[in-house]
Amino acid sequence: MNPVSRIFLLWGRQAGWMIFGAVLFLAALAAGLALMGASGRYIAFALLGGGVLVPAVLQYIGAARVVLRYLERVFTHEAMFRALAGLRIWLFTGLARSAAGGLGYRRAGDALARLVNDVDALDGLFLRIFLPLLGAVLLAPVLAVLLWREQPWALAVLLPFGFVAFYLPALAARAAGRNGARAGLAMSGLRSAALDALSGLREVKIYAAEGRMLAAVQAREASYLAAQRELVKQTSALNARAFLVAQAGLLLAMLAGLAGAPVFTVITVFVLITVFETVLGLPRAGVLYGQARAAAARVVEAATALPAVADPPAPAPMPAGNSVAFEHVSFRYADNLPFVFENLSLQLPAGSRTAILGPSGAGKSTIAALLLKLVSPLSGQIRLGAADLATLPSEAVRHRIAYLGQTTHLFADTIRNNLRLGDPTASEEKLWAALEAAQLAQTVMGLPEGLDTWLGEGGQNLSGGQGRRLALARTLLCEAPILLLDEPCAGLDADTESEFMKVLNTATQGRTVVLIAHRLTGVEQLDRIWRLAGGVLMPAAG
Amino acid sequence: MSAETKAWVRAEQKRGQSAARVPILLGMAQVGLGIGQAWCAAYLLAAVLHLAPRGLMAVLHAAGFIGFAALRAVAGMQAERQGFERGAAARRRLRNSVLSTILALGPAGLRGKHSAELAATAVDRVEAMEGLHARWIPATALAILGPALVGLVALALDWRAGVVLLAAGLLVPFAMAVAGIGAGVAAKRQFIALTRLQTRFLDRIRGISTIVLAGRAADEARALAAAAHELRQRTMRVLRVAFLSSTALDLAAAAALVVIVVRFAGPLRHDPALAPTALFILLLVPEFFAPLRNFSAVYADRMAAEAVADAFCALPVPPAPVPAADIRSVAAHGLTLAFEDVSFTWDTARGPVLEHLSFRAVSGEILLLTGASGAGKSTIMDLILGFITPDSGRVTINSVDLPVLVPAARTKMLGWIGQKPMIFAGTIEENIRFARPEAADEDVAEAIRNAQLSALVDSLPEGIKTPLGEGGFGLSGGQAQRIAIARAFLKDAPLLLLDEPTAHLDPAVERDVLESIKRLASGRTVIMATHSAIAVEFARNSGAKRLDLDSLRHARHREVLA
Repeated sequence: MNPVSRIFLLWGRQAGWMIFGAVLFLAALAAGLALMGASGRYIAFALLGGGVLVPAVLQYIGAARVVLRYLERVFTHEAMFRALAGLRIWLFTGLARSAAGGLGYRRAGDALARLVNDVDALDGLFLRIFLPLLGAVLLAPVLAVLLWREQPWALAVLLPFGFVAFYLPALAARAAGRNGARAGLAMSGLRSAALDALSGLREVKIYAAEGRMLAAVQAREASYLAAQRELVKQTSALNARAFLVAQAGLLLAMLAGLAGAPVFTVITVFVLITVFETVLGLPRAGVLYGQARAAAARVVEAATALPAVADPPAPAPMPAGNSVAFEHVSFRYADNLPFVFENLSLQLPAGSRTAILGPSGAGKSTIAALLLKLVSPLSGQIRLGAADLATLPSEAVRHRIAYLGQTTHLFADTIRNNLRLGDPTASEEKLWAALEAAQLAQTVMGLPEGLDTWLGEGGQNLSGGQGRRLALARTLLCEAPILLLDEPCAGLDADTESEFMKVLNTATQGRTVVLIAHRLTGVEQLDRIWRLAGGVLMPAAG
Repeated sequence: MSAETKAWVRAEQKRGQSAARVPILLGMAQVGLGIGQAWCAAYLLAAVLHLAPRGLMAVLHAAGFIGFAALRAVAGMQAERQGFERGAAARRRLRNSVLSTILALGPAGLRGKHSAELAATAVDRVEAMEGLHARWIPATALAILGPALVGLVALALDWRAGVVLLAAGLLVPFAMAVAGIGAGVAAKRQFIALTRLQTRFLDRIRGISTIVLAGRAADEARALAAAAHELRQRTMRVLRVAFLSSTALDLAAAAALVVIVVRFAGPLRHDPALAPTALFILLLVPEFFAPLRNFSAVYADRMAAEAVADAFCALPVPPAPVPAADIRSVAAHGLTLAFEDVSFTWDTARGPVLEHLSFRAVSGEILLLTGASGAGKSTIMDLILGFITPDSGRVTINSVDLPVLVPAARTKMLGWIGQKPMIFAGTIEENIRFARPEAADEDVAEAIRNAQLSALVDSLPEGIKTPLGEGGFGLSGGQAQRIAIARAFLKDAPLLLLDEPTAHLDPAVERDVLESIKRLASGRTVIMATHSAIAVEFARNSGAKRLDLDSLRHARHREVLA
């Protein structure tokens, strides 16, 4: 299905608002046409020495036109805002359900961020594309009938009308669609060049590469601007053609009037002025459509992607026990990739404290992904309590396992709301207790706004170690019996890391702890330590 | 919006106004041609009503009508293209200035700013400034000049009708102000609120896996819906008022039309020859209001610019370059680095990081810097790299003060390997050549051998042409560090700074990387900061001197207490 139609279908829930908005739009348009027609008629008579008084009907139509225009603006915007909110929430829920929920786990944050720009590109779909097109589609037959009744030859103006309202917008949409891929590529090139120069600032200074990096960014910028310029060149030419053709249509009507039916001609010309005014924006709408189409395709694809692990149709009841066992589990990410591990077995009794060590790329995080049901084993079984993990609903499994990973996100929100992600109903005391356990209570108490302190994007107002401890406090709030920690200290210096591990020792008493790391700091209190290398788990000495 | 931001937007606008002359002239040409078209159309319509002569004159007017229309179409096309060029030029200028500022400031000047945030300023916020230059600036000028021109023409032909038009024109901004002053201010705030909601949505999408893995997707979707709902209600409250200003425009246009018709209806009964003039002035009414409508259509462009202006103002001002007269060069071989009584403070609230620090490292020597985080290891590195200058004391190379060295000579002397090397989007070769773009192929090959990257390069089908970075081949931590080592080999600098080079490596890989670093270190002056026990042991075995910043600090404290 065309992705744009898919988006329209999605707006079904706001259909009432949208239809009401569309009806008002059409009513305002009809009032506009009636006003121009009646004015033309009155002016023609006045010019011919007719009446002086403005007929009452003109006043009514004029007033109706102004009021309807106002109502139209209000209600079409109301409908648009509702539709936009609906679309965003649909995308969010879709992403959360689909593979992308797990994808963010593999650091695809920027690809996801690009999707948000795509959603923005769909903003104009209803107001700027759908409504004017609807107007044009309905105008064509109305115009045809009216002209046919009075002056069949005047039907000739339908030719320029169709050209401007349908043909040129189609051309514009095609040009924009072709250009979109090029401009999108150039934009992501510009973005990555800028990001390269800015995140490698140290290297750039040390290797005296300022000039080179600036030149690289400017080269990408130049090709982005060139892509845009090409589109502007095409669309401005299309707009000029649309304008000229519309004017030719008006001239046609006037010249035809020289042959007869003078008053009718003045009315027609006045009405046509409004008609062409309505459709002159359509080539521009065509450009928007060309751009929105690709964006809609990406958004629909992302939101409807299937989850990597589908929930069982008839999930088994959640087991009572919380021990975890991997039994002869084999896994690989794709058929053409080597096995991450084969025949792997691992026992994680309830309440035990286990570390899994190994070099990067050994598959440690895959164990976490399997446990969280982000991927499923190719063969073998994972048991939670007495149940097979595959038979359990993933949401319920994730309520049993509190996960803290290296990409765990701190939200641009208050400390309180960041914590409440772990437990939305947590009381004030409980929040402070969690902060206390994560040894962050002192710091938060020292902040002027306490729990209501706003964290910048990515938790910018906290130091690296504090940020990780806040994420830990959030994880602790979640009353899951199993704690799964995947490189919780990545990016921290060694002292901060061992401080964090000491906190962890006391804060996690009584729960099952699984710590995934590439090395230990020496302060961790653990029952067993495994080393994963070459797809094989081996017991390792502390 | 702060006064500073306001001044910045005003300065941008001023700069844009002088650049926008061509689009404004083209816009005025369109208005003028529109007046010509209206004249021809009025005559033709009068001819249709048998109120003006037909025949040749009608043909001429028809030709004039379509001729003016063609010229107007061309002028419109050119105005659009010229507007784009003005916007493109402004974006080029702004992006260049943002990037140059950031590059001049260096990492020390931008502490605490995330690179993604800086990139958003250099890319997206610069893009958001386009509308101001491409559309808003010409539209503001035309909103005054366009109606003035049309009004004057009307005034010249029939003063009463001209006065009506101009009065309606003056009423429009007045009515807009009455309906809009409150709405305008609120609309600005609303625009910011909308941007915030967008940021919130973006933030939730970025962190979606955290939400999903916490099993809170449904809760968060409800929260997002509630936030969007609240924002919609507030926005609509503003828009309902703001749309009144558009309605004022509609009303003014309709009223002007009616008054003009009524004004002509009487005289026309006695003087049919007045018909072309009357029609002409009637047809001028839409031309009169078109630039005003266009003006309110581009108001969002200005708000978009104001919303991003803060980020541009927040960029620090780069330090002035050192005057050329003081700059000296030193012999590059046999390099001695010395700190003499150096003190440095990042933040007065937290106290000094370095106090009266003195040490010396001579050619062929490894100096090991140890100490807890915050002890000042990175500060020492930044001082040597010249990203910051000491509050007191001197940092010298061969007895020459660091700040007076020719910057090009200074960077030539420095090699550096950090915790995590930056891998740029590009091939392995380009990433290594980054250190010295003009290097010969043999030199690059030798650097790869010396950094023990040969095995990796040989195993890849595309060899050194293998793309790295986003979407390219993913290097492990050890491999990435070897790229940094290859860079340092290629640069062949006499002073080598190692800032925790093995902090993110597994112990086995760490030993391997240290072996390569050992080969790199020979014959150079080396400063190595590290936490790692393995690295400390390794440096000791290589005969390193050790400077422990913690014990220095304790000694100082004891001095103070004694």
